[in-house]
Amino acid sequence: MSCIKVDSLSKSYGSIKAVDEITMSVKSGKVFGFLGPNGAGKSTTIKLLTTLIHPSEGSLTILGIDAIKNPLKVRHKIGVVLQQPSYEPTLSVEKSLEKYGMMWNVPKKERKSRMEKLLVDFDLTEFRKKRNEDLSIGQRRRVQVAREFMHDMDLLFLDEPTAGLDPSARRKLLDYLKDRVKTGLTIFFTTHILTEAEYLCDEIAIIDKGKILAIDTPDALKNRFGKEKTIKIHLLENQQEISSLLSGIPDCKIDFNTGTNIIIHSEKSELVLMKVLRILSDNGIKIDDLSAVPTNLEEIFLKMVEENVSNH
Amino acid sequence: MFPIIRLVNRNLTISINPAFLLWQIIFPVIYIFIAGFAYSSLIQEVPFGTKGLAYPAFLASGMIGFNIMNSTLVSGIIIWNDRKYGMFEQIMSGPFTRPHYILSNICTIGIIGLVSAALIAVIGYPVFFDSIEFSLVTIPLIVFAAVTGSVLFGSIASIIATKLRSSEGFNVILNTAFLFFAFVSTAFYPAAGAPEPLKTAFYLNPLTYLVDIIRAGIFGEVSELVILEMGILAIIATILFIIATKLLTKLDF
Repeated sequence: MSCIKVDSLSKSYGSIKAVDEITMSVKSGKVFGFLGPNGAGKSTTIKLLTTLIHPSEGSLTILGIDAIKNPLKVRHKIGVVLQQPSYEPTLSVEKSLEKYGMMWNVPKKERKSRMEKLLVDFDLTEFRKKRNEDLSIGQRRRVQVAREFMHDMDLLFLDEPTAGLDPSARRKLLDYLKDRVKTGLTIFFTTHILTEAEYLCDEIAIIDKGKILAIDTPDALKNRFGKEKTIKIHLLENQQEISSLLSGIPDCKIDFNTGTNIIIHSEKSELVLMKVLRILSDNGIKIDDLSAVPTNLEEIFLKMVEENVSNH
Repeated sequence: MFPIIRLVNRNLTISINPAFLLWQIIFPVIYIFIAGFAYSSLIQEVPFGTKGLAYPAFLASGMIGFNIMNSTLVSGIIIWNDRKYGMFEQIMSGPFTRPHYILSNICTIGIIGLVSAALIAVIGYPVFFDSIEFSLVTIPLIVFAAVTGSVLFGSIASIIATKLRSSEGFNVILNTAFLFFAFVSTAFYPAAGAPEPLKTAFYLNPLTYLVDIIRAGIFGEVSELVILEMGILAIIATILFIIATKLLTKLDF
């Protein structure tokens, strides 16, 4: 079942189209990753989906509700962690959580027990009495994310939630989110950290200049767009003439680095590799190390964004 | 619990802290008991309606209006902080609408205004209890003034908070505006006797009307002028509230 259904959604500011006719659907109980470079339209899309701003065109259904006609109804069922920090500077961590639960009408007893659990889950126990303004950026971010779990929701929007977190806190948060998804929560997650998206997301959309370039599972995206393989060869000795020896090989792009490193990019990598090895052998050039680099999401992402830029 | 009540609860929690409460008490105590009695050697009696008031009694009643105005600065500070620290956007992405947010601010300043008025009335009681003439008409008059005045000055603070982005600009403009309201009014001294341009300026200031109505309520001096002042205060409060609401409604993310 689709949790989010977006059809030809656009948002314009004057002549600038921040979001340009995007169409997508997000399945319930999954993590949907929304990737894009800075200024691609990720945050504007989140603001549209969370009903903070009104679309210029298109339709939007969230949890089966027409979000353009009934924004408040939608907001009762969703949680939102925005990209920008949000906190009450003078409140302590525990007071922030408690008051946020109160704002969502969570009963007092329930608020208390949720707060205690979240303080532990997000490693906030030792700062519980500290005021928000006295916390570090990372601690404040953890409070901001933890706070959203003070209330029940069917769908959670997270706009770069790991910004400012150290690697261990980041991994802990991603694991926490994975656990919550197992309980039926759907997460709409934006990031530009591709390893995070690969680790967490069931499905990914890549957006640039307000347009969606591709939507699929991480593996399917790799299969579709990651045909080009990368092979790295490290030579035993410096070979100045290597670039002229390999320059005639077709269907590939070869980078030479310092005369000992050869990096081959090709969609016909096996064939190209055979030719390279034959030339090296014929010229008595010895290999120290050879490795194939698996295609990762980052390469696909960069390739797509670069292609999109050159198309424009 | 209704959304507005939940937001009022939140507003009061973030606004009221020990320092704020202490200031709300110390400030009028210094004015009433130090300035009031120190100046009484210069100003023996202030004419008000058909009465002559002792200066400390005149000042204490003026301080009620002044404190209502001062405490409604909170409204601007709430909006300003919510914008600065991202809570406005966060609240608007939750189970609330802009009218909820606006009305909760008005209720917050209404409560703070009424409590401030009551606080000063209690603190100032020893100096004006001789002249007090409460009746069934005068108490609603004071409540009307406290609520209308809170809405009026709260709306001014909200307008400043929504229009300004820099914290320096916000603080300078808010403090300058409120300093002007405080001293170009009848809160601390009577209009009678002031040089002509200043006397006229007193009556361009809503704090003058607020203070006059409160004094009329406390000292039982309800006249046609006071009723006119009530009308003017209500009209200005309504206009400013509409402007503040429109600006908040248009506030973009």
